[in-house]
Amino acid sequence: MNTNKKALFAQTMDQHKGIVYKIVNSYCQNQDDRQDLAQEILTTMWLAYDNYNKDYKFSTWMYRIALNVAISYYRKDSKREDKANANEQCIVHIADFSAQDDKSEDVKQLYEFIGKLDKLNKAIMLLYLEDEPHQSIAKSLGISKTNVATRIGRIKETLKNQFEKQGA
Amino acid sequence: MNLDNFKNTWQQQNSLNESAITINQSLLSETKVNTQMKELNNMKWARIIESVVFFFIIVLLGQYIAKNVSVSAPVISALILAVFAIIGLAGNIGQIVHISNIDYAKPISQLQKDIYRLCSHKLQLTKLLLMSAPFYMAYVFIGFDVLFEIDLFAHLEQHIVWFYSVSSLLLLIVTTYVLAKLNYTNIKAPWVKRTVAFIVGERLVTMAQFINNIDSTGS
Repeated sequence: MNTNKKALFAQTMDQHKGIVYKIVNSYCQNQDDRQDLAQEILTTMWLAYDNYNKDYKFSTWMYRIALNVAISYYRKDSKREDKANANEQCIVHIADFSAQDDKSEDVKQLYEFIGKLDKLNKAIMLLYLEDEPHQSIAKSLGISKTNVATRIGRIKETLKNQFEKQGA
Repeated sequence: MNLDNFKNTWQQQNSLNESAITINQSLLSETKVNTQMKELNNMKWARIIESVVFFFIIVLLGQYIAKNVSVSAPVISALILAVFAIIGLAGNIGQIVHISNIDYAKPISQLQKDIYRLCSHKLQLTKLLLMSAPFYMAYVFIGFDVLFEIDLFAHLEQHIVWFYSVSSLLLLIVTTYVLAKLNYTNIKAPWVKRTVAFIVGERLVTMAQFINNIDSTGS
Protein backbone atom coordinates (compact mmCIF):
# COMPACT_ATOMS: atom_id res chain seq x y z
CA MET A 1 0.00 0.00 0.00
CA ASN A 2 1.47 3.37 -0.94
CA THR A 3 2.10 6.25 1.46
CA ASN A 4 -0.83 8.28 0.13
CA LYS A 5 -3.22 5.48 0.79
CA LYS A 6 -1.79 4.97 4.27
CA ALA A 7 -2.27 8.64 5.05
CA LEU A 8 -5.79 8.63 3.63
CA PHE A 9 -6.69 5.59 5.70
CA ALA A 10 -5.25 7.16 8.86
CA GLN A 11 -7.17 10.36 8.23
CA THR A 12 -10.46 8.64 7.48
CA MET A 13 -10.06 6.29 10.43
CA ASP A 14 -9.50 9.23 12.72
CA GLN A 15 -12.81 10.72 11.63
CA HIS A 16 -14.75 7.50 12.14
CA LYS A 17 -12.99 5.72 14.99
CA GLY A 18 -15.96 6.39 17.25
CA ILE A 19 -17.76 3.61 15.37
CA VAL A 20 -15.24 1.08 16.69
CA TYR A 21 -15.80 2.38 20.21
CA LYS A 22 -19.58 2.00 19.94
CA ILE A 23 -19.37 -1.50 18.51
CA VAL A 24 -16.86 -2.92 21.01
CA ASN A 25 -18.83 -1.48 23.92
CA SER A 26 -22.04 -2.98 22.56
CA TYR A 27 -20.65 -6.43 21.83
CA CYS A 28 -18.19 -7.04 24.67
CA GLN A 29 -18.77 -7.14 28.38
CA ASN A 30 -15.20 -6.79 29.65
CA GLN A 31 -12.36 -4.42 28.89
CA ASP A 32 -9.89 -7.09 27.68
CA ASP A 33 -12.38 -8.33 25.11
CA ARG A 34 -13.13 -4.77 23.99
CA GLN A 35 -9.45 -4.09 23.47
CA ASP A 36 -8.98 -7.37 21.63
CA LEU A 37 -12.03 -6.86 19.41
CA ALA A 38 -11.09 -3.26 18.59
CA GLN A 39 -7.66 -4.45 17.46
CA GLU A 40 -9.25 -7.16 15.32
CA ILE A 41 -11.69 -4.69 13.74
CA LEU A 42 -9.00 -2.15 12.92
CA THR A 43 -6.56 -4.67 11.48
CA THR A 44 -9.32 -6.28 9.40
CA MET A 45 -10.26 -2.86 8.02
CA TRP A 46 -6.65 -2.05 7.27
CA LEU A 47 -6.14 -5.37 5.46
CA ALA A 48 -9.39 -4.90 3.50
CA TYR A 49 -8.80 -1.24 2.67
CA ASP A 50 -7.28 -2.06 -0.72
CA ASN A 51 -10.68 -3.35 -1.80
CA TYR A 52 -12.63 -0.37 -0.47
CA ASN A 53 -15.02 0.86 -3.12
CA LYS A 54 -15.27 4.66 -3.00
CA ASP A 55 -18.81 4.51 -4.38
CA TYR A 56 -19.91 3.57 -0.87
CA LYS A 57 -19.84 5.77 2.19
CA PHE A 58 -16.75 5.00 4.31
CA SER A 59 -18.85 4.80 7.47
CA THR A 60 -21.19 2.23 5.85
CA TRP A 61 -18.23 0.10 4.74
CA MET A 62 -16.65 0.47 8.16
CA TYR A 63 -19.85 -0.51 9.98
CA ARG A 64 -20.24 -3.58 7.80
CA ILE A 65 -16.71 -4.81 8.45
CA ALA A 66 -16.77 -3.94 12.14
CA LEU A 67 -20.12 -5.65 12.69
CA ASN A 68 -19.01 -8.72 10.76
CA VAL A 69 -15.85 -8.98 12.88
CA ALA A 70 -17.80 -8.37 16.10
CA ILE A 71 -20.44 -10.99 15.28
CA SER A 72 -17.89 -13.63 14.33
CA TYR A 73 -15.58 -12.66 17.21
CA TYR A 74 -14.99 -15.63 19.43
CA ARG A 75 -12.67 -16.07 22.33
CA LYS A 76 -12.34 -19.64 23.56
CA ASP A 77 -11.59 -18.61 27.11
CA SER A 78 -12.83 -15.16 27.96
CA LYS A 79 -11.42 -15.46 31.47
CA ARG A 80 -7.90 -16.20 30.33
CA GLU A 81 -5.16 -13.90 31.49
CA ASP A 82 -4.30 -11.67 28.63
CA LYS A 83 -0.78 -12.99 28.14
CA ALA A 84 -0.97 -12.74 24.39
CA ASN A 85 -1.97 -9.09 24.48
CA ALA A 86 0.67 -8.30 27.04
CA ASN A 87 3.34 -9.50 24.66
CA GLU A 88 1.83 -7.86 21.60
CA GLN A 89 2.30 -4.19 20.89
CA CYS A 90 -0.93 -2.32 21.33
CA ILE A 91 -2.36 -0.95 18.09
CA VAL A 92 -5.41 0.52 19.75
CA HIS A 93 -6.27 1.77 23.18
CA ILE A 94 -9.88 1.99 24.32
CA ALA A 95 -10.79 4.00 27.40
CA ASP A 96 -12.50 1.90 30.04
CA PHE A 97 -16.22 2.54 29.56
CA SER A 98 -17.12 1.96 33.20
CA ALA A 99 -14.51 4.50 34.33
CA GLN A 100 -15.82 7.26 32.04
CA ASP A 101 -17.76 9.89 33.94
CA ASP A 102 -18.57 12.02 30.91
CA LYS A 103 -21.22 9.58 29.66
CA SER A 104 -24.77 10.76 30.23
CA GLU A 105 -27.17 8.54 32.16
CA ASP A 106 -29.21 8.07 28.96
CA VAL A 107 -26.22 6.78 27.05
CA LYS A 108 -25.25 4.42 29.85
CA GLN A 109 -28.82 3.08 29.93
CA LEU A 110 -28.79 2.73 26.19
CA TYR A 111 -25.56 0.69 26.24
CA GLU A 112 -27.05 -1.45 28.98
CA PHE A 113 -30.13 -2.03 26.84
CA ILE A 114 -28.08 -2.80 23.71
CA GLY A 115 -25.95 -5.21 25.74
CA LYS A 116 -29.03 -7.30 26.47
CA LEU A 117 -30.05 -7.64 22.81
CA ASP A 118 -28.99 -10.58 20.66
CA LYS A 119 -26.17 -10.11 18.15
CA LEU A 120 -28.46 -9.36 15.20
CA ASN A 121 -30.66 -6.87 17.04
CA LYS A 122 -27.53 -5.17 18.39
CA ALA A 123 -26.40 -4.58 14.79
CA ILE A 124 -29.85 -3.27 13.80
CA MET A 125 -29.98 -1.00 16.83
CA LEU A 126 -26.52 0.46 16.20
CA LEU A 127 -27.31 1.22 12.56
CA TYR A 128 -30.72 2.64 13.50
CA LEU A 129 -29.18 4.96 16.09
CA GLU A 130 -26.80 6.21 13.38
CA ASP A 131 -29.90 7.32 11.49
CA GLU A 132 -29.34 4.82 8.70
CA PRO A 133 -32.51 4.36 6.59
CA HIS A 134 -34.22 0.96 6.76
CA GLN A 135 -33.16 0.22 3.18
CA SER A 136 -29.49 0.75 4.04
CA ILE A 137 -29.76 -1.36 7.23
CA ALA A 138 -31.40 -4.13 5.21
CA LYS A 139 -28.61 -3.98 2.62
CA SER A 140 -25.86 -4.10 5.24
CA LEU A 141 -27.45 -7.04 7.00
CA GLY A 142 -28.58 -8.87 3.88
CA ILE A 143 -32.18 -9.14 5.07
CA SER A 144 -35.44 -7.63 3.83
CA LYS A 145 -36.58 -4.09 4.59
CA THR A 146 -39.78 -5.48 6.10
CA ASN A 147 -37.75 -7.68 8.43
CA VAL A 148 -35.73 -4.65 9.54
CA ALA A 149 -38.89 -2.63 10.19
CA THR A 150 -40.44 -5.50 12.17
CA ARG A 151 -37.34 -5.94 14.29
CA ILE A 152 -37.01 -2.21 14.98
CA GLY A 153 -40.67 -2.15 16.01
CA ARG A 154 -40.03 -4.98 18.47
CA ILE A 155 -36.90 -3.34 19.86
CA LYS A 156 -38.86 -0.11 20.42
CA GLU A 157 -41.58 -2.06 22.20
CA THR A 158 -39.06 -3.85 24.44
CA LEU A 159 -37.37 -0.55 25.27
CA LYS A 160 -40.71 1.06 26.09
CA ASN A 161 -41.64 -1.83 28.38
CA GLN A 162 -38.27 -1.67 30.08
CA PHE A 163 -38.67 2.04 30.80
CA GLU A 164 -42.20 1.52 32.05
CA LYS A 165 -40.94 -1.18 34.41
CA GLN A 166 -38.15 1.07 35.66
CA GLY A 167 -40.62 3.90 36.13
CA ALA A 168 -43.09 1.75 38.05
CA MET B 1 -38.11 8.36 26.52
CA ASN B 2 -38.39 6.32 23.33
CA LEU B 3 -35.80 5.08 20.87
CA ASP B 4 -36.15 8.08 18.56
CA ASN B 5 -35.40 10.46 21.44
CA PHE B 6 -32.26 8.45 22.10
CA LYS B 7 -30.96 9.00 18.56
CA ASN B 8 -29.92 12.60 19.23
CA THR B 9 -28.26 11.77 22.54
CA TRP B 10 -26.41 8.92 20.85
CA GLN B 11 -25.15 11.04 17.99
CA GLN B 12 -24.11 13.87 20.32
CA GLN B 13 -21.70 11.41 21.93
CA ASN B 14 -19.67 11.02 18.72
CA SER B 15 -16.88 13.45 19.64
CA LEU B 16 -16.57 11.90 23.12
CA ASN B 17 -16.35 8.46 21.56
CA GLU B 18 -13.60 9.56 19.22
CA SER B 19 -11.52 10.88 22.10
CA ALA B 20 -11.96 7.60 23.99
CA ILE B 21 -10.06 5.63 21.37
CA THR B 22 -6.45 6.08 20.32
CA ILE B 23 -4.90 4.27 17.39
CA ASN B 24 -1.22 3.67 16.79
CA GLN B 25 -1.31 4.33 13.05
CA SER B 26 2.30 3.36 12.36
CA LEU B 27 1.85 -0.03 14.05
CA LEU B 28 -1.45 -0.53 12.27
CA SER B 29 0.05 0.20 8.87
CA GLU B 30 2.75 -2.41 9.49
CA THR B 31 0.12 -5.10 10.06
CA LYS B 32 0.24 -7.79 7.42
CA VAL B 33 -2.03 -10.34 9.06
CA ASN B 34 -4.37 -10.56 12.05
CA THR B 35 -5.95 -13.32 14.16
CA GLN B 36 -8.84 -13.96 11.77
CA MET B 37 -6.53 -14.02 8.74
CA LYS B 38 -4.18 -16.41 10.57
CA GLU B 39 -7.12 -18.63 11.41
CA LEU B 40 -8.26 -18.63 7.78
CA ASN B 41 -4.74 -19.37 6.61
CA ASN B 42 -4.45 -22.30 9.02
CA MET B 43 -7.79 -23.60 7.78
CA LYS B 44 -6.60 -23.35 4.20
CA TRP B 45 -3.46 -25.40 4.94
CA ALA B 46 -5.44 -28.00 6.88
CA ARG B 47 -7.82 -28.37 3.91
CA ILE B 48 -4.89 -28.67 1.48
CA ILE B 49 -3.34 -31.46 3.59
CA GLU B 50 -6.70 -33.25 3.83
CA SER B 51 -7.16 -32.93 0.07
CA VAL B 52 -3.77 -34.59 -0.50
CA VAL B 53 -4.81 -37.45 1.81
CA PHE B 54 -8.13 -37.89 -0.01
CA PHE B 55 -6.30 -37.77 -3.33
CA PHE B 56 -3.95 -40.59 -2.26
CA ILE B 57 -6.89 -42.67 -1.04
CA ILE B 58 -8.57 -42.20 -4.44
CA VAL B 59 -5.35 -43.16 -6.27
CA LEU B 60 -4.86 -46.27 -4.11
CA LEU B 61 -8.49 -47.35 -4.52
CA GLY B 62 -8.24 -46.64 -8.26
CA GLN B 63 -5.14 -48.82 -8.54
CA TYR B 64 -6.87 -51.56 -6.58
CA ILE B 65 -9.92 -51.43 -8.88
CA ALA B 66 -7.74 -51.38 -12.01
CA LYS B 67 -5.78 -54.40 -10.77
CA ASN B 68 -8.86 -56.46 -9.91
CA VAL B 69 -11.41 -55.50 -12.57
CA SER B 70 -14.38 -57.76 -11.91
CA VAL B 71 -17.88 -57.71 -10.46
CA SER B 72 -16.78 -58.89 -7.04
CA ALA B 73 -17.63 -57.67 -3.53
CA PRO B 74 -14.13 -56.15 -2.85
CA VAL B 75 -14.11 -54.23 -6.16
CA ILE B 76 -17.65 -52.90 -5.63
CA SER B 77 -16.61 -51.99 -2.06
CA ALA B 78 -13.56 -50.15 -3.41
CA LEU B 79 -15.82 -48.27 -5.82
CA ILE B 80 -18.17 -47.24 -3.01
CA LEU B 81 -15.28 -46.02 -0.84
CA ALA B 82 -13.75 -44.20 -3.82
CA VAL B 83 -17.05 -42.33 -4.26
CA PHE B 84 -16.88 -41.19 -0.60
CA ALA B 85 -13.24 -40.15 -1.03
CA ILE B 86 -14.17 -38.15 -4.16
CA ILE B 87 -16.97 -36.43 -2.21
CA GLY B 88 -14.43 -35.63 0.53
CA LEU B 89 -11.92 -34.24 -1.96
CA ALA B 90 -14.58 -32.14 -3.72
CA GLY B 91 -15.74 -30.80 -0.35
CA ASN B 92 -12.19 -29.83 0.56
CA ILE B 93 -11.61 -28.06 -2.73
CA GLY B 94 -14.89 -26.22 -2.18
CA GLN B 95 -13.68 -25.17 1.28
CA ILE B 96 -10.40 -23.83 -0.14
CA VAL B 97 -12.39 -21.76 -2.65
CA HIS B 98 -14.69 -20.50 0.16
CA ILE B 99 -11.69 -19.47 2.27
CA SER B 100 -10.32 -17.46 -0.64
CA ASN B 101 -13.69 -15.73 -1.07
CA ILE B 102 -14.10 -14.59 2.53
CA ASP B 103 -14.75 -10.87 2.43
CA TYR B 104 -15.64 -8.95 5.58
CA ALA B 105 -17.27 -6.19 3.51
CA LYS B 106 -20.03 -8.59 2.40
CA PRO B 107 -23.54 -8.18 3.87
CA ILE B 108 -23.59 -9.63 7.37
CA SER B 109 -25.93 -12.57 6.68
CA GLN B 110 -23.85 -13.65 3.68
CA LEU B 111 -20.48 -13.48 5.45
CA GLN B 112 -21.75 -15.20 8.57
CA LYS B 113 -23.07 -18.05 6.41
CA ASP B 114 -19.70 -18.26 4.66
CA ILE B 115 -17.89 -18.43 8.00
CA TYR B 116 -20.37 -21.00 9.29
CA ARG B 117 -19.67 -23.13 6.20
CA LEU B 118 -15.95 -22.98 6.95
CA CYS B 119 -16.28 -23.67 10.65
CA SER B 120 -18.65 -26.57 10.05
CA HIS B 121 -16.03 -28.49 8.08
CA LYS B 122 -15.41 -30.92 10.94
CA LEU B 123 -19.15 -31.52 11.13
CA GLN B 124 -19.27 -32.20 7.37
CA LEU B 125 -16.37 -34.66 7.65
CA THR B 126 -18.16 -36.45 10.49
CA LYS B 127 -21.30 -36.53 8.35
CA LEU B 128 -19.31 -38.05 5.49
CA LEU B 129 -17.97 -40.71 7.83
CA LEU B 130 -21.49 -41.36 9.12
CA MET B 131 -22.75 -41.61 5.55
CA SER B 132 -20.31 -44.45 4.95
CA ALA B 133 -21.48 -46.31 8.08
CA PRO B 134 -24.25 -48.26 6.27
CA PHE B 135 -21.53 -49.49 3.93
CA TYR B 136 -19.34 -50.71 6.78
CA MET B 137 -19.03 -54.13 5.16
CA ALA B 138 -17.14 -52.48 2.29
CA TYR B 139 -14.20 -51.88 4.67
CA VAL B 140 -14.36 -55.50 5.83
CA PHE B 141 -14.47 -56.94 2.29
CA ILE B 142 -11.49 -54.86 1.12
CA GLY B 143 -9.58 -55.59 4.33
CA PHE B 144 -9.97 -59.34 3.91
CA ASP B 145 -8.99 -59.18 0.26
CA VAL B 146 -5.91 -56.98 0.82
CA LEU B 147 -4.67 -58.71 3.99
CA PHE B 148 -5.62 -62.36 3.36
CA GLU B 149 -6.56 -62.34 -0.34
CA ILE B 150 -9.94 -63.79 0.59
CA ASP B 151 -13.22 -62.77 -1.05
CA LEU B 152 -15.20 -62.86 2.18
CA PHE B 153 -18.55 -62.31 0.47
CA ALA B 154 -18.19 -65.57 -1.50
CA HIS B 155 -17.75 -67.45 1.78
CA LEU B 156 -20.71 -65.90 3.59
CA GLU B 157 -23.80 -67.96 4.25
CA GLN B 158 -27.14 -66.68 2.99
CA HIS B 159 -28.56 -65.78 6.43
CA ILE B 160 -25.41 -63.78 7.28
CA VAL B 161 -25.76 -61.86 4.01
CA TRP B 162 -29.36 -61.10 4.96
CA PHE B 163 -28.31 -60.02 8.44
CA TYR B 164 -25.72 -57.59 7.05
CA SER B 165 -28.14 -56.33 4.39
CA VAL B 166 -30.89 -55.63 6.92
CA SER B 167 -28.47 -54.04 9.43
CA SER B 168 -27.07 -51.82 6.63
CA LEU B 169 -30.58 -50.80 5.62
CA LEU B 170 -31.46 -49.94 9.21
CA LEU B 171 -28.23 -47.99 9.56
CA LEU B 172 -29.02 -46.18 6.31
CA ILE B 173 -32.41 -45.10 7.66
CA VAL B 174 -30.93 -43.94 10.98
CA THR B 175 -27.96 -42.10 9.45
CA THR B 176 -30.15 -40.44 6.79
CA TYR B 177 -32.41 -39.12 9.56
CA VAL B 178 -29.49 -37.97 11.74
CA LEU B 179 -27.66 -36.33 8.82
CA ALA B 180 -30.78 -34.50 7.66
CA LYS B 181 -31.32 -33.16 11.18
CA LEU B 182 -27.70 -32.12 11.84
CA ASN B 183 -28.22 -28.74 10.25
CA TYR B 184 -28.18 -25.19 11.58
CA THR B 185 -31.91 -24.90 10.94
CA ASN B 186 -32.51 -27.52 13.63
CA ILE B 187 -30.14 -26.07 16.22
CA LYS B 188 -33.10 -25.41 18.55
CA ALA B 189 -33.49 -29.16 19.09
CA PRO B 190 -31.47 -29.97 22.25
CA TRP B 191 -29.91 -33.16 20.83
CA VAL B 192 -28.81 -31.38 17.63
CA LYS B 193 -27.30 -28.57 19.71
CA ARG B 194 -25.49 -31.03 21.98
CA THR B 195 -24.22 -33.12 19.05
CA VAL B 196 -22.93 -30.09 17.12
CA ALA B 197 -21.31 -28.72 20.29
CA PHE B 198 -19.70 -32.11 20.96
CA ILE B 199 -18.33 -32.53 17.42
CA VAL B 200 -17.25 -28.97 16.64
CA GLY B 201 -17.71 -26.85 19.76
CA GLU B 202 -19.88 -24.09 21.17
CA ARG B 203 -18.75 -21.58 18.57
CA LEU B 204 -20.61 -23.34 15.77
CA VAL B 205 -23.75 -23.55 17.91
CA THR B 206 -23.64 -19.78 18.45
CA MET B 207 -23.10 -19.18 14.74
CA ALA B 208 -25.94 -21.55 13.83
CA GLN B 209 -28.25 -19.70 16.23
CA PHE B 210 -27.26 -16.38 14.66
CA ILE B 211 -27.88 -17.60 11.10
CA ASN B 212 -31.18 -19.12 12.16
CA ASN B 213 -32.15 -15.83 13.69
CA ILE B 214 -31.20 -13.87 10.58
CA ASP B 215 -33.01 -16.35 8.33
CA SER B 216 -36.23 -16.10 10.28
CA THR B 217 -38.66 -13.73 8.63
CA GLY B 218 -39.44 -11.93 11.83
CA SER B 219 -42.76 -13.68 12.05
